[in-house]
Amino acid sequence: MSHRFIASMGALAVMIAVALLAPVPIAGQAKSSTANTTTAAKSWTEPRTADGQPDLQGIWSNATLTPLERPRELAGKQFFTEEEAAEYEKQVLQHNNADRRDNPNTDADVALAYNDSWYDRGTKVVPTRRTSLIVDPPDGRIPALTPEAQKREIARAEARSKRGPADSWEDRNLGERCITRGAPKLPSGYNNNFMIVQIPGTVAILQEMIHEVRIIPLDGRPHVVKNIREWLGDSRGHWEGNTLVVDTTNFNDQVRSTSYNCCGGASANLHLVERFTRVDADTIDYQYTVDDPTTFTRPWTVAVPLTRAPGPIYEYACHEGNYGMANLLSGARAEEKAAAEEAAKKGSR
Amino acid sequence: MRNPLRGAIFSSAAAAVITALWLVVIPSAGQAQAYVAPRTPDGKPNLNGIWQTLNTANWDIQGHAARAGQVVALGAVGAVPAGLGVVEGDEIPYLPPAAAKKKENFENSLKADPEIRCYLPGVPRATYMPYPFQIVQTPKYILMAYEYAGASRTIYMDNPPASPFDTWMGHSVGRWDGDTLVVDVTSFNDQTWFDRAGNFHSDALHVVERYTPISPYALTYEVTIEDPKVFSRPWKMSMPVYRRLEKNAQLLEFKCVEFAEELMYGHLRKQPSK
Repeated sequence: MSHRFIASMGALAVMIAVALLAPVPIAGQAKSSTANTTTAAKSWTEPRTADGQPDLQGIWSNATLTPLERPRELAGKQFFTEEEAAEYEKQVLQHNNADRRDNPNTDADVALAYNDSWYDRGTKVVPTRRTSLIVDPPDGRIPALTPEAQKREIARAEARSKRGPADSWEDRNLGERCITRGAPKLPSGYNNNFMIVQIPGTVAILQEMIHEVRIIPLDGRPHVVKNIREWLGDSRGHWEGNTLVVDTTNFNDQVRSTSYNCCGGASANLHLVERFTRVDADTIDYQYTVDDPTTFTRPWTVAVPLTRAPGPIYEYACHEGNYGMANLLSGARAEEKAAAEEAAKKGSR
Repeated sequence: MRNPLRGAIFSSAAAAVITALWLVVIPSAGQAQAYVAPRTPDGKPNLNGIWQTLNTANWDIQGHAARAGQVVALGAVGAVPAGLGVVEGDEIPYLPPAAAKKKENFENSLKADPEIRCYLPGVPRATYMPYPFQIVQTPKYILMAYEYAGASRTIYMDNPPASPFDTWMGHSVGRWDGDTLVVDVTSFNDQTWFDRAGNFHSDALHVVERYTPISPYALTYEVTIEDPKVFSRPWKMSMPVYRRLEKNAQLLEFKCVEFAEELMYGHLRKQPSK
C-alpha cells in the first residue's frame, strides 16, 4: 500500500518539477519583492512594549508551501518568478488535496489520512519566492554530514533495518508519539500557529503543536548545567538592535528525525541561534542557524517568515487523543499473527 | 466652618500616615489584605514569576493521614504523605451516584488516574501538582505554563469567543477584581480528576479561580467548583501558592509521555518469536 502511494507521489513530484522548469526563469526578478518590502516598511512604525522592547507579541503562523530543502529538480534555481511561484502553488495545493479520489476503493484512496479540512498548510510560497527555506548554503540543501555523523547514520540505519515499522512505539517518530515536533518547529500540515507574549526580562512562545511553551529568559543568566538535557534545549535571549536573538544549547541526544525536526539529524552538541525581527505590522522575519560541528560540515541557516494569524489558538491535546498509536501497534501485531497462521497452514499442507 | 473641615482633613491625612507607618513597621496576622502588590505598566498587580504550592492536595484534596501506596515495590517512596486538606469544611458534596463513583475511582486509581498516563491535568489540579508553574502576564493574554506534561493555558483578558469544543485545560476568561485575578473556566471534558484519590467531575464543570497576592512571595489561590451533574452544591478550595525564590529558577521539561508509553502500549510491543 505505502509503496504504491510513494511511487505515485514520486511521479507527481516529477510532473511538478517539469511544469516548474518549463517557463524560462528570468534572473533578477526576485529583487522586486525586496523593493516592495522596503517601501512598505517606510510607512510603518515599529511597535514597542511598555518597557521599550521591540514588540513581537501576537499570534503568528509559519505555514508555507516552500520546502525546507530545494528540490533536486530545481538545483541552481534560487528564486521562482511570480508565474513559476503561482504554478508551483497550484501544483502543490492539488497534490496536497486530501479530499481528492485518485483510485476509489483502493488502499491509495485512504492513504491520504485526514480530510482536507484538517490541514492548514498555507497556500503560498514564502514572499521572497526562494525555492527553499534554507538560505545558506546557497544550494538550499542541508550540508554534507561529517564522517563521524555518517558513521552514526549508518549505525542507526542498520539498527532500524532489523526492526519492523511498528515493533514498538519507539519505531515511530517523535511527532507521532506526541512528544515533540522540536523547537523551532518547522511548518507542517497543521498547527502552524504560535503565540508570543513578552514581559520585562522574558519572552514566551507557545507552539500550537503539542502545546509546547518555550520560556526564554533575557536576563543574561548562563545556560543550565551540562547534565540537564532537554528535547527543546535551554534557551537564552538578548536584543541586538531590533532583533531578538535566542541562543539554545543543552539538547538531548535522542534521534532527531529530518521529516519533523528543525535541525536535520543534529546531535546533542547542537547550538541553535534564532533571530526574530519585526519587519512590518503583519510579519516577523525569522531565521535560525544550525551549528553542530560533530554532525554537519558547516553551519546552515533557515528563513521562514512568521505572518500574523487571526487566532485564537485552541488546545491541541495530542497524547490524550493518540488512538493512532495503540491502533497501529495492534494492527502490526494482527498482521504478524495472520502471517504466522498463514505460514503454519502452508507448512502443514 | 472652615476650621473644623480643615481639621478633619488634617486628622484623616494624619491617620492615613499613621496607619501606613503602622502597617510598614508592625505587620501582624490578619493585615494581609493591606498588601499592595507591585504593578505592571498597565496598573494591574504583577503576578509574573514561577510559583508552586507546598501541600499534598495532588494526592488527596481532603484531609488525610499518611497511607501506604499501591505499588509494593516502591515501599516508603510510593506512600501517600499526610495532609490537612484544602477543601473548605473538608466536605465534598457528591450526589449519591457520584459518591459511589468516587469510591470506585479511589480503589481503581492505579489504573484510572489520568496523571499516571501523563494526560493534561485540568484546572485546578494543574496549580497544586508538585511541580512549578510560570505566569507570563500581559494586558491581553496571561499565559500559564506548567512544568508537568508541558501543560499550558491562555487566560483571555479581552472577551474571546466561546470555546467551540470541550478541552482538558478548559477555556479561561480572566478579569481583575481589585487586586485579585478572577478566572472563569468552562468547556471542560469529563476526563480529568482533582487528585490521585479519585475526586472527579463531569463535563458540566465550572471553575472560578481567584489569585490574590498577599506578599511579594505568596498568593492566595481560591477555587469555587460547580458541577450540577456531580455535586449537590458549589464548594471551595483554598491554599497559598509560593514564589520560587531561586535566582536561577526556571521551568524544566517534564515531558512525561515517554515515561508512560511502556505502561500504555507495552502489551502491544512485538514479542520475540519463539
